[in-house]
Amino acid sequence: MGRFVVRRVLQAIPVLIGVTFLIYCLVFLLPGDPIRALMGEKQDPHLALVLRAKYHLDDPLVVQYWHYITGVFRGDLGTTYTGRPISDIVSQRFPVTLKLSLTAFGFEAVIGILAGIFSALRRGKFLDNVVFIATLFLISIPVFVLGNVLQLELGVNWKLTPVAGIEDGWPASYVLPGLVLASTSMAYIARLTRTSMIESVRSDYVRTAIAKGLPRRRVIGVHALRNSLIPVVTFLGMDLGSLMGGAIITERVFNLPGIGGQLAQSVSLREGPVIVGLVTLLILIYLVANLAVDVLYAVLDPRIRYE
Amino acid sequence: MRGAKSAKWVAIAAVVALGATACGGGGDTGNGKASGKNNGVVSVEIGQPQNTLVPSNTYETEGGQVIHALFTGLTKIDSNNKIVNDEAQSVETKDNKVWTIKLKPGFTFHNGEPVTAQSYVDAWNYGADQTNAQQTNALFSHIQGYTDLNPGPKKTVKTHTMSGLKAIDDNTLQVTLTAPFSAFPAQLSFTGFVPLPKAFFKDPKGFGKKPIGNGPYEAKTSFVDNEGISLVKYAKYPDASSFPVKGINFKVYSNQDTAYKDLLAGNLDVLPVIPTSGLATYKKDLPGHNIDVPEGAVGYIGFPLKYNKAFQNAKIRQAISMSIDRDAIASKIFLGARSAADDYVPPLIDGYRKGACGETCTYNPTKAKQLYKEAGGLPGNALEIGYNADGDHKTWVEAVANQIQKALGVKVTAKPFEQFQTILNDLDAKKYKGAFRMGWQMDYPNFEDFLRPIFSKDAIENGSNYAGYTNPTFEKLLSEGDQGATEADAIKKYQEADDVLLKDMPYIPVYFYRLNTGFSDKIKSMNIIAHQIDWTSIKLG
Repeated sequence: MGRFVVRRVLQAIPVLIGVTFLIYCLVFLLPGDPIRALMGEKQDPHLALVLRAKYHLDDPLVVQYWHYITGVFRGDLGTTYTGRPISDIVSQRFPVTLKLSLTAFGFEAVIGILAGIFSALRRGKFLDNVVFIATLFLISIPVFVLGNVLQLELGVNWKLTPVAGIEDGWPASYVLPGLVLASTSMAYIARLTRTSMIESVRSDYVRTAIAKGLPRRRVIGVHALRNSLIPVVTFLGMDLGSLMGGAIITERVFNLPGIGGQLAQSVSLREGPVIVGLVTLLILIYLVANLAVDVLYAVLDPRIRYE
Repeated sequence: MRGAKSAKWVAIAAVVALGATACGGGGDTGNGKASGKNNGVVSVEIGQPQNTLVPSNTYETEGGQVIHALFTGLTKIDSNNKIVNDEAQSVETKDNKVWTIKLKPGFTFHNGEPVTAQSYVDAWNYGADQTNAQQTNALFSHIQGYTDLNPGPKKTVKTHTMSGLKAIDDNTLQVTLTAPFSAFPAQLSFTGFVPLPKAFFKDPKGFGKKPIGNGPYEAKTSFVDNEGISLVKYAKYPDASSFPVKGINFKVYSNQDTAYKDLLAGNLDVLPVIPTSGLATYKKDLPGHNIDVPEGAVGYIGFPLKYNKAFQNAKIRQAISMSIDRDAIASKIFLGARSAADDYVPPLIDGYRKGACGETCTYNPTKAKQLYKEAGGLPGNALEIGYNADGDHKTWVEAVANQIQKALGVKVTAKPFEQFQTILNDLDAKKYKGAFRMGWQMDYPNFEDFLRPIFSKDAIENGSNYAGYTNPTFEKLLSEGDQGATEADAIKKYQEADDVLLKDMPYIPVYFYRLNTGFSDKIKSMNIIAHQIDWTSIKLG
């Protein structure tokens, strides 16, 4: 187990370095010029020249990347073209995104799995149909529609939740955005759990467990569920990454200052260093989440061993 | 089961490691709810300022709104859009070139330091110095010695003071300009020209987070990016009694639709610009709590005159102008948030002449077609109009394209660019030959600010003359306006310069912006001047 983890961590290093360079190149290749993007409709060509020189923007790609990556190894993530340190941006935005995505993650895991289990056990009955329709509903509604409608009804009209912003802190400010962000995945997880649960309930070892006279709770909760969770855990692990980087719409609707919004803004402003910094962080999370998933397989299925 | 156990721990550790950062941050500022009734504190929507809150580095309305509450400049714009003295006792000149400005006594910075003429000299030298790369750098270019501070990229600046600035004594400031410039007092009302305390120069970064101004409100908290800043009334401000609001919370929104919902829910008190989605309903949603007034901004259609010969005949441009139904654009597309342009200068500016553009800006498809034929038409009988797709421009540019196509029988296509700067890049590279949309928002309310920065020869290098338009008569009249002995003389000359433009039509003025603001029940009435909230005008409910 230990060796497996170490190997995976070592593998991550070349991935990270390669990816930073790749993203740096991609941003460099985007048409447009960050200084101009900053100035919008009021351009000052003289000032633009001064700023370009200051941020090495006239140097070739490799030189620019060298300036950036040597800075990173000195612990300096660089600054935006307005002089704001990127480490500032990360330390302010990252906690918001983490709170939001973990809240959403919690919702989709708990509600999704529970709904899946119950509809599998009551297959074809009323509850199963309710879950089926609810998931269909969630999958077919775009996130920004759901977000805006819930915000208007629960926030503006009924005043149950804050309309927007993070002033009320966790959990108040994050419950509704988290639920909205989780909606689609929650539906997928419910369906996934249901299918895989139905399969396990029918399998031989479950019949054996029932025949042995084990209580129903133990048969369902341990024997059947644990086995059916493997595809669900795979999905959850992948999803954690996309929840982090892909919450742009939810962040915009609820005015949450997270990573997604910053990424979108930085791409439109061509702020290479910011994009590289944030994306690297997201990749790191992906890698950690995937490692956690692989390790969890061993927990769920005793036959899987990493040695 | 051993393997499984240790695996469990690794998984838990990974989750905890992720979670720990989440709990550690907790970057909430205790702003509290916006709407505690009648505590005299109002909340205002702003966008995230581009830079830290240093006045000379703030060239956008987002940060400008905060700077305006924190600082007081030499002059200001009153409710009739006239320039009046603010911290200045008097602003005098004989030749529009050497200006003597006397300060009112009694003004202090929020840290107690008195405001002196030197505070202005230091601030302006800092703003004009290219080493500091401040956004408003070009605004100081009228002052003598500006070029010494701006030798060009990668060159060292030898002196850090402009020879044209002199603090004669604590309360007297003498400014020498490179050439006469009658609009100088108007320019002084811009937030880039406010004074800075000594504390700024010790720690510009820290200052940008929590500015120490000389204005009616002082910073209570530091600015938190993407969240906002809280201000309270500065008790030692000489005119403090005429500011009814006790405190201001500026709240950053990344999405104005969300801000609009917060305004309706009572979590926000002032939304300076109603988003497009709310324009149709805001007067019904906020009865008696909205503002709808003209604004100092113009929308145009421009042409790459400098390298595309096809547009160089003025008749072509006039023909295009006459095939645009401006009233329909203003009322149907913008739902009244714009008005039809009939001049290069919007109505709130002193010297605006209603209908100055005359028939050239009036919808007349027959005459347009006739002019178009006389001029020999466009190559291939086709016209492209570029617009940046990241703003709200698609609908109106497409409508205009449609109108021109119908009137002139030319194939007109609206061409999206991803950003405004991508249009500019293509113009620089002489790659894009079509027309393009363009807008201008004033820096200070003066006739001159709608002419020089967009159409003068200087503005090709040092401003926003993207068409590359030049006309010696226009330049001459502009500089005569700068030398105007009285305000009326200056305006008269500027108007003549404007007439040259109206004849030449380097850009086609299409619409004037209007300002649509909404405010909550907590406020009875309020006024906005030059995009900025007039804090003396607010009446609390």
